Amino acid sequence: MLGPYVDAYLISWVVFLPLASGLLLLVANSVAGFLLRSNGLPKVVWQVIAMSSTSLTFVASLFGLWGRFDPEETGYQLVERVAWLPDYGIHYFVGVDGISLVLVLLTSFLMPVVLLASWNEIDRWSRSYLFFMLALETAMLGTFVSLNLFQFYVLWEVMMIPMLFIIGIWGGPRRIYAATKFFLFTVSGSLLMLVALVIVYRMNFEQGGALNFDLVRFVGHAPVPGVPLLDTVIPATTESGAPWWQTQLWLFGAFALAFGIKVPMVPFHTWLPDAHVEAPTGGSVILAGVLLKMGAYGFLRFALPLFPDAALAWAPWMTGLALVGIVYGSLVAMVQRDVKKLVAYSSIAHLGFVMLGVFALNLQGVTGAVLQMVNHGLATGALFVLVGFIYARRRTREIADFGGLARPMPVFAALLGFVVMASIGLPGLGGFVGEFLILLGSFGADPWAAVIATTGVVLAAAYMLWMYRRVVFGPLDKPENRGLIDLDLRERVAVGLLALPIVWIGVNPSPLLRRIEPSVSILLQEMELRRSHDEIPSAFEARSQELP
Amino acid sequence: MEAEAFDVAALAPLGFVAIGALVTLMLEVVLSRRAFVGEGVDPETRLVARARIGIVLAFASSAAIVLAMYAAIYQFELGFETAFGPGRPMLQLDALSTFATALIGLGALLSVWLSITYLPALRINHGEYYALLLLSTAGMFVLVSAVDLISLYLGLELTSLPIYALAGFNRRRLRSNEAALKYFLMGAVASAVLLYGMALLYGATGHTDFTGISQGFAGGGGLALSGLALVIAGLAFKVSVVPFHQWTPDVYEGAPTSVTAFMAVTVKTAGFVVLMRFLVLALPEMGEKVSVLLGVLAGLSMLIGNLMAVVQDNVKRMLAYSAVAHAGYLMVGFAAGTPEAWTAVLFYLFVYLFMTVGVFCVVIALAQGGREWDSIEDFAGLASQRPALAAVMTLFLLSLAGIPGTAGFMAKFYLVVAAVDAGQIALVLILVGTSMVSFFYYLRLPVVMYMQKRRQDPDAETSSSEIVVLALCAAAILYFAFFAQADPFGTGVRALDVAGRAADFLH
Repeated sequence: MLGPYVDAYLISWVVFLPLASGLLLLVANSVAGFLLRSNGLPKVVWQVIAMSSTSLTFVASLFGLWGRFDPEETGYQLVERVAWLPDYGIHYFVGVDGISLVLVLLTSFLMPVVLLASWNEIDRWSRSYLFFMLALETAMLGTFVSLNLFQFYVLWEVMMIPMLFIIGIWGGPRRIYAATKFFLFTVSGSLLMLVALVIVYRMNFEQGGALNFDLVRFVGHAPVPGVPLLDTVIPATTESGAPWWQTQLWLFGAFALAFGIKVPMVPFHTWLPDAHVEAPTGGSVILAGVLLKMGAYGFLRFALPLFPDAALAWAPWMTGLALVGIVYGSLVAMVQRDVKKLVAYSSIAHLGFVMLGVFALNLQGVTGAVLQMVNHGLATGALFVLVGFIYARRRTREIADFGGLARPMPVFAALLGFVVMASIGLPGLGGFVGEFLILLGSFGADPWAAVIATTGVVLAAAYMLWMYRRVVFGPLDKPENRGLIDLDLRERVAVGLLALPIVWIGVNPSPLLRRIEPSVSILLQEMELRRSHDEIPSAFEARSQELP
Repeated sequence: MEAEAFDVAALAPLGFVAIGALVTLMLEVVLSRRAFVGEGVDPETRLVARARIGIVLAFASSAAIVLAMYAAIYQFELGFETAFGPGRPMLQLDALSTFATALIGLGALLSVWLSITYLPALRINHGEYYALLLLSTAGMFVLVSAVDLISLYLGLELTSLPIYALAGFNRRRLRSNEAALKYFLMGAVASAVLLYGMALLYGATGHTDFTGISQGFAGGGGLALSGLALVIAGLAFKVSVVPFHQWTPDVYEGAPTSVTAFMAVTVKTAGFVVLMRFLVLALPEMGEKVSVLLGVLAGLSMLIGNLMAVVQDNVKRMLAYSAVAHAGYLMVGFAAGTPEAWTAVLFYLFVYLFMTVGVFCVVIALAQGGREWDSIEDFAGLASQRPALAAVMTLFLLSLAGIPGTAGFMAKFYLVVAAVDAGQIALVLILVGTSMVSFFYYLRLPVVMYMQKRRQDPDAETSSSEIVVLALCAAAILYFAFFAQADPFGTGVRALDVAGRAADFLH
């Protein structure tokens, strides 16, 4: 009966299912209390509702989106477009291409796993916690599938609110500081992006284009029924007489600030360790697994295709920042005493790799970056989950408080070892493929960048293995650690679920690459086509020739 | 234009509230005579009687306001257009004035509902309150349709005088007295400045009506320009634009919260509407100079309002500075001065009404035991005690901050688009930059409400009239966040189009 509606609005179903069940959670307690004349239902009922709805979302995105996505066809698929504020060219406009598809899948996969992993963690206001998680999922999925700049901006900002509360209410001792800092950093950074958006919108209109916020009408990409492709006249000069490519530099800067804070790129990274350390496990996993990908995704989906000249001009700077992130993040991770903080800084380094790949601006680099986003989400998510497990047992995350955990907790030690390997990028696991592609692409763009980045690989191995050695091996000299209980079935399943795709991507990355690559190649072609300024600095000639 | 026959239908909104004011005044006298006659009535009985009278008066004034709003909406839908006055047009009834009348009526109505339980809680349940409120509303109705400096001044004074009294309505509280006195003295100075400006304008142009001024103004000249500046300054005082904002924090904090809510939304609406009409009619080719002047006022208001709000520990004071900041945002629209910008300004005022009334309603819902609970610490841990109240408060604050997903964002968005269109990039950057600052203080309340432990333990309940107001405001904010320009329920009304029609008063 619902068939046609599900078919036509597949993406919307996936996106809004979590929010709908979240709202159900909010009202259900009073309804149930009224019907059963009881004081509300036990927590487990809400958990089951949330688990089943997130699992359903994953199944729907797996069979509905992944299953129906045609890798042969380039461009956006499963597109929906409904007028929202039509006078301003604002539509509810969603669709997926290879890049967003894998990130949607990552998001919908992580969510049920996270809920499973943090099943017993939340003991206060658990219904609200689940609501915030579900609302967060809707906002994240919506951000990944947005094809309208305005809609993207709205969801991008809305996403921060549940996260603010998740960190601030259920976080650690310094949660208020961390939550506020996270929110202020990320939300403030985006405001300039809003101004840039509006300026692009106005400029396009002044040059004879339509009043429009739809991405495809700015940058081309796939045909969408009823939407003229590239009806915009990209201005040769702006009103003030400056060439369009010079204006781009500023606009790109505004976007780069918003996205760079979210990635985070190095000067703007300080919110991340605080947020990660103070967040509850669920928050940390989602933060590292999905939210950090938003920045890189924003570059790929919006900043690069909208401002191709500026992207090329900024590329060396962004590459430089990425390299700083890799080296700095790794070095700082090495001296951390708190496991969670170590993982947080390792995230900065890994995201540095992703940005390196993005700004290699060639097929291997960008494809590798997208793949690495998925890998990082899985591996770092698993690391945070495992850290959460020992924190629940010992109420500490200091490396010095552990040692010799292999004896009381062999399964934990094995799984941590596996995840550490995945995070380092051991061949045969997902991380290797992504890092390899990124280094390949980066070498093509600038060999020196690749050389410096390689030190990051070495350093990653160093700090991860060193941490592993100090936590798992060595003498079991702390009496508190002797009686530790190994992971139970729920915990094993949670980590096991995360391990599966890590192995799968490592062994057989082609299903993912087959979907990512065509989208990346279209993106690069469009950038090349829409470049308005031929005299880019000569250092980038090599790069632009490589475009397929 | 010729003086027309006195059109009673046109004045219906004004008539309803004016009559309502008199009726509530008389009603109070009659009812309290019946309740308090005779010796030996014990205080308990008196209190109950007073509460009953309060409810009756609130209903009477609600009825008057609803009738006035109904009349205004009816006139708006008819596209009513008429001007009248002795000899030359004094009042202009058109889409703008009817729109503003309905808006002010809504603000007044919600303020009346806020007062029903708040006045008894503060033990200031006197009947004059409603009469004063209605009189002030009547003044604003005059103000928004004024097309002559004389009627503008009359409207302004009729608006202000009752509010001076209302600000000091909590006689026993020193701060309330201070607020009233301060507001009165500074308001008197502002009125004098305004009058002086009017005199200069009249001297320079030989006219007091706006269109006449525009003809006489053609040559410009120092006299006219200084008159113009003084008139703008006088009006800027009413809408608390920097540097004429100094009264705002003290009055907002000292006045009873229901009065604060009332003047925060209605006076601001009326002031901005009359300023808009004055600028458009009296200065059709608004020169660079005026635009720069308004831009400077806007920039200062945004900067000072937002920066000062950060350091406040009292919620009402913080909201006062936030009101200054919002006046600055609105002035950005004035500096832009395009029809699109006027639409954005009117829509902003419309949205601003809901979020401001909502925020003050939460403060009111906390008041009890004859005292206000309005310091930031008083909100600590509210979410565990009264989760729904904390949730709507968060919504209102996020809307004031302009976070997407709330109507406040849409309002800001339209302003930004209009300002970018008019080339006011610098102002837009200030708007955005100061908005970042504003997150800091708007976020403080949700943070203490959700993330800190409860310190005090007031177990007050949200009264049903407050629930109605809160629900209405919250629903409006969520609705207009997504459907500012859409009509999902087939009512045939799209909010932005309505604002656009109202802004289109120059055709």
